[in-house]
Amino acid sequence: MKPRGEALLRLFAVQASYTYERMLGIGVGHASAPLLRTTLSARSARERHEAIARSADFFNAHPYLAGVAVGAEVRAEQDGVSGAVITRLRTALSGPLGSLGDQLIWAGWVPALVGVALATAPWAGLWAVAGIVVVHNALRFRLMSWGLDLGLREGLGVGAALQRSWLPRGAEGAQRAAAFAVGLAVPIVARTVLIGGSRPEVWLTAGCGVAGALLTMLPFARTRITGLRFGLLLLGLAILVVGGSQ
Amino acid sequence: MSMPLAVLAVLAWGTIAGLDLVSVPQGLLSRPIVAATVAGTLMGHVTAGLLAGMVLELYALDVLPIGASRYPDYSVAAVAGGVAASLVPLPVAVGVAGLIGLPMAALGGWTLQKLRRRNAISIQRRLERVAAGDGRAIWELQRNGIGRDALRSFALALVGVALALAAAQLHWSLILRAQWLSWAVLAGGIAAALGGALRSAGQGARRRWLAVGVGVGLILGLAQ
Repeated sequence: MKPRGEALLRLFAVQASYTYERMLGIGVGHASAPLLRTTLSARSARERHEAIARSADFFNAHPYLAGVAVGAEVRAEQDGVSGAVITRLRTALSGPLGSLGDQLIWAGWVPALVGVALATAPWAGLWAVAGIVVVHNALRFRLMSWGLDLGLREGLGVGAALQRSWLPRGAEGAQRAAAFAVGLAVPIVARTVLIGGSRPEVWLTAGCGVAGALLTMLPFARTRITGLRFGLLLLGLAILVVGGSQ
Repeated sequence: MSMPLAVLAVLAWGTIAGLDLVSVPQGLLSRPIVAATVAGTLMGHVTAGLLAGMVLELYALDVLPIGASRYPDYSVAAVAGGVAASLVPLPVAVGVAGLIGLPMAALGGWTLQKLRRRNAISIQRRLERVAAGDGRAIWELQRNGIGRDALRSFALALVGVALALAAAQLHWSLILRAQWLSWAVLAGGIAAALGGALRSAGQGARRRWLAVGVGVGLILGLAQ
């Protein structure tokens, strides 16, 4: 396999040895290794090893955009940029690649796709589920490939190239799509599950859900009352009701 | 598919879904709507798996796996929920899926932290080799990380499927008001998804898009 293809494949496992101390560092080092071995083949073994060690240092970013850093670092090593500057490049890239990725992917296209699947599942069934898996992975592969090539092309200038790219606009658009899709999905899922329920039961369930959502918005409650904790609390109350009815 | 074969298949699927969350390949397989639906399909009950997946997905929408944040792991939990849902009468499927899936999600989140600590110890042991740029050491860390996560996911799947099989032994159709469990799980899911959406929407245009989405969803939901 060609080094670029190998690096791209390894980026799928960039979080395999994720830790709180190094974050994606080891995964980025693993993905960079095939490219570094090829591009630095004319250098001494010591220089190659130093470059690989640098690439495995602490690094944090969104996993789908880690390829941007891999590409930029390999290009900088190829251009003979000093180790200290490359370390600064990694530090400088961590923030934007994390923030943009989180906005575009975790808060954008993933909830958007999931919302679409939830909203269409009552009619499309398995097709809705299969559809989002295919679309997500096609988009993800395209993004990773684009990011790696951007880094390899721009090297030290990758930060400015990122700002000029479609990513910031794409992130805002994806988040709007996510807000719409999640909003669309919630009443449809509720209706699907509540089919057959009496009017008071429907209102009680929906009312508890909306009240819970508002509760999690309160400033003092944000970190204490999560959706999971609220759900477990309601489940506990329901168990008491069901147990008391026997 | 015979029952023992179906159980083996969901254990394998649970391991894959658990690995997908963080380690490899992060291809959306760990999302509850995918994980639970496939689990239900493997158990021979697509609708129950899909229903369980839809409701557990509402909870997962509240999670933003950003940086060093700690969050529940809904992947294997959804597989266990999907199995449980497919083994009980449909009116209580969502309730039983939540009964198994929600505590499993909390347990899964705890195991993720343990996994990360174990990865850190593994890196510490190879620190000199990594600092010397030894590609072999980096490869070993990646391989071992995936192996550990596969073990974690398999163990969680084993616990989850065992709980689901145990829950299926209850005579759910004889339990009065058992549907309340489903409504409680759904109400929690609505709170999680709406709360998460409101928080990430902020004050501007995104909140308007959310309101439009809810409006259209209500119309479509009522027309269902």
